[in-house]
Amino acid sequence: MKFFWIQLVLILGSVTLAFMFIRRWDRANTRAWKRIAFSVFVLVNIYAVLRPTDVTWLAHQLGVGRGTDLVLYVMVLAMGFLTLNTFLRFRSLEKKLTDLARTVAINEGARLNEERFDLDLPISAPVDRSKA
Amino acid sequence: MSQYDDVWLVIPAYNEGQVIADVVEGARKTFPNIVVVDDGSGDDSAKHIMETGAHLVRHPVNLGQGAALQTGLAYALAQPGAKYFATFDADGQHQTADVEKMVALLREGDTDVVLGSRFIEQNGQVPWIKRVVLRTAATVSPTARKLKLTDAHNGLRVMNREAAGRLRITMNGMAHASEIVSFLAGSDLRVAELPVDILYTDYSRAKGQSLINGVNIIFDISLRERSRR
Repeated sequence: MKFFWIQLVLILGSVTLAFMFIRRWDRANTRAWKRIAFSVFVLVNIYAVLRPTDVTWLAHQLGVGRGTDLVLYVMVLAMGFLTLNTFLRFRSLEKKLTDLARTVAINEGARLNEERFDLDLPISAPVDRSKA
Repeated sequence: MSQYDDVWLVIPAYNEGQVIADVVEGARKTFPNIVVVDDGSGDDSAKHIMETGAHLVRHPVNLGQGAALQTGLAYALAQPGAKYFATFDADGQHQTADVEKMVALLREGDTDVVLGSRFIEQNGQVPWIKRVVLRTAATVSPTARKLKLTDAHNGLRVMNREAAGRLRITMNGMAHASEIVSFLAGSDLRVAELPVDILYTDYSRAKGQSLINGVNIIFDISLRERSRR
């Protein structure tokens, strides 16, 4: 089987994705990396628009037929990162929402039930505030 | 005063307005302390619960059964004198007689958690397709095997303060059952199973877990395993 550099690039990208998925990433750190990646993305974009032939040249170096195909491959990877990022963000939001709703529910409930049953209950209840 | 003053029943309820009052009042004949967590129901569940003698805690939005259980446990843990905590279904499929048996076992002091099992005694009430799937789940699940459980997804559980205080349900949806089992397997808590009777009424059948939802549970669980630390 003939080896193409693009295969290495795509496989590395996929492995990185899987890795990020398994590892609990350090938030501030990854945020910085995401910003760097975005800046690089913008710069490469401008470059590619100005000199499209270079993209084709790079594609050839990597073993891809056309520059357009290379762009497509990179887009698939980028899409994967985006999806993962959104998923992780949603999950952390869901955790926060749960904590918030639980605190509200317990405090409200304590007050309500105190009135209903004429009890004297401690209002604050333990809520798990550990990081998601 | 009842001999069960130190027991709290935690009942998560989502759109159970039709039956919740009957279930709660039925259970209160034996267990005076009940907290019903209304998980953001869209029907008049809260109104019906208010008419009973149970404590009511309302999620402002619907979060899922796992979240409701965790909220109910947190609430019950904060109540003075609470020693034993039971998770009980709102649709009337669990029996208070079973909870009494489970509490009695906990009171002996050699166990921290008692889980209900539909399969220890063959009672023939479980629909066969459900029986096959649930048994397979219990056999395949590595954590359930480690604890030698026969039924990994039974909603009826009783635990002592130690166990309830350590349990942190993070799976808001239905995957919490597996999460609880894997938490127990990873802890040094002493777990036992007792046979329980489940009443599969038409109502509970209609409200209960469809098997296709098992796909969701497997998906949630596998994501969680993968994203742990």
